[in-house]
Amino acid sequence: MSGEPLLDVTGVSKRFGGLKAVDGVSLKVGAGEIVSIIGPNGAGKTTFFNLLTGQLRPTEGQIRFKGQDITRLRPHHRARLGFGRTFQISQTMTSLSVLENAMIGGFLKLRGNHAAAVRAMAALDSVGLEAKADRKSSELTLGERRRLEVARAIAMEPDIILLDEVMAGLNETEITEILDLVHRLNEAGKTFLVIEHNLKVVRAFSRRVVVLDRGAMLAEGNAEEVLSNRAVIEAYLGASTA
Amino acid sequence: MTKTELSRTPRIGSFAGELPVLGAVLAALGLVLLFYSDDSFTLNTLAGTFLFAGLATSWNIIGGFGGQFSLGHSVFFAIGAYMTGNLFLKYELSPWISLLPAMALAAAVAMLISWPVFRLRGPFFSIATLALTEVAMALAVYFSTWTGGAQGFSVPFKRGLENMIFAERMNNALLMLGYVAVTLLIVCWLRHSRLGYSLQAIRDNEDTAEAAGIAVLRTKLIGMGLSAALMAAGGSLYMMYVRVVDPYALFSLFDVGVKVAMITLIGGIGTIYGPLLGTLLLIPLENLLRAELGASVPGGNLLVLGVLLVLTALYLRRGIIGSLIGLADRMKAARA
Repeated sequence: MSGEPLLDVTGVSKRFGGLKAVDGVSLKVGAGEIVSIIGPNGAGKTTFFNLLTGQLRPTEGQIRFKGQDITRLRPHHRARLGFGRTFQISQTMTSLSVLENAMIGGFLKLRGNHAAAVRAMAALDSVGLEAKADRKSSELTLGERRRLEVARAIAMEPDIILLDEVMAGLNETEITEILDLVHRLNEAGKTFLVIEHNLKVVRAFSRRVVVLDRGAMLAEGNAEEVLSNRAVIEAYLGASTA
Repeated sequence: MTKTELSRTPRIGSFAGELPVLGAVLAALGLVLLFYSDDSFTLNTLAGTFLFAGLATSWNIIGGFGGQFSLGHSVFFAIGAYMTGNLFLKYELSPWISLLPAMALAAAVAMLISWPVFRLRGPFFSIATLALTEVAMALAVYFSTWTGGAQGFSVPFKRGLENMIFAERMNNALLMLGYVAVTLLIVCWLRHSRLGYSLQAIRDNEDTAEAAGIAVLRTKLIGMGLSAALMAAGGSLYMMYVRVVDPYALFSLFDVGVKVAMITLIGGIGTIYGPLLGTLLLIPLENLLRAELGASVPGGNLLVLGVLLVLTALYLRRGIIGSLIGLADRMKAARA
């Protein structure tokens, strides 16, 4: 990381009443990185994502993106600045076709119907859904819906893509396909921030891993080191087994 | 994504692609008029039916495509009627001209009142629009210099195309057919436009739409403004057609506000031709019921419409057209 990082999060917290879901997390992500966020259920990973994309506003702290303070910006403004995301519980537009779902991403930077469709088709092609372009998105399997969300995010041509447990419920082949896709896009310059439960996938994904536990950052660093860290194993598996 | 060669080019509908169907639909409606050209009673019914089809098509922009279930559209309808009626009465201004300020005012009012109301989702939004109708009606009764108070007012019968006042019923019916044509043309464009896709994305999933960069509030406001403006144009036509209006008729929930939504639901909400089909089936049916049951069972027509709505909600969740499209999709999927 040289110069200003792409994404710079400083001391961000989110309180829901008495519960501190995210507690003073700081994180820098450089352009071209793939960073994984892991942690037990309820650690605040998705809340942290929602703070980054603007679905929630932090109680404290600052978020800078490309050198600009975006802490108070609405989600659609952040999307225009270069944030693309998928949701943990797959969110597609069920009355629209698969192609039209991806077009919603394409319309971010393109006005014309045809131009958006061409870009959407390219995005569907890269996630292997081109053959289902004319289907209703409600007819897709869970794995296909997740890939459709990735396609919609890709069609937005963002600088950073946030994937929230995109592998959940996918089979081995589908996981390999998404991994390949992420690495291909990464080589083309895209930055990724990924919430992931499958540790095998985490190792394959990224060099850098961040561990959240009860809202706070428990560990951060090289994937191999972090995953063999005693505190991390305890947080994941419980103290007695460690 | 870096692949330049695609396995196939996307097949996506376009505005131009909708035009042949639209032309055929309008030609069919024109033929119906021709068929009844000697029957002024039927022509009168058809004029009223076409007017309502245009209103329902306008409502469908924000109610169907945008998923914002407004029950307060009679407010914009009334704005159109009052603007055109007053300008005609006081300055003899042609309704063709007063259409424009009527549409502009309705769009402005719609956006202004929607700005706070759009923060409410689902049923809360609908209830708020119902309340707005009641407030607007109270205001209309109070500001009697513009509305004639509770008695309403009338405009004189001055024949002429420039006044939209005709002796032959055929001309009224043709004018209303023109209104249907304009609203349908706009919806055909909308269906394949960025605005239309943004509205549909918001209807299906507001959070995802916002994450994809759609300015949710602004898009809803634009959709509402467009819908209200077209509704007001219908109000202007209605004013010159009936030439007598009062607040109770204009703001009637059962004749305007709720009915546009109900008929669109039955015909196929969020589809281009759903509101038209719903109107063509239900308005003549309702006229018939009113004539047959009006004296013996007051309100019997509403009862029958209510039952039809319940049946649609139970068995045709997406309305008649929506269900037909769904059937076609399933057959296509089965063949693929």
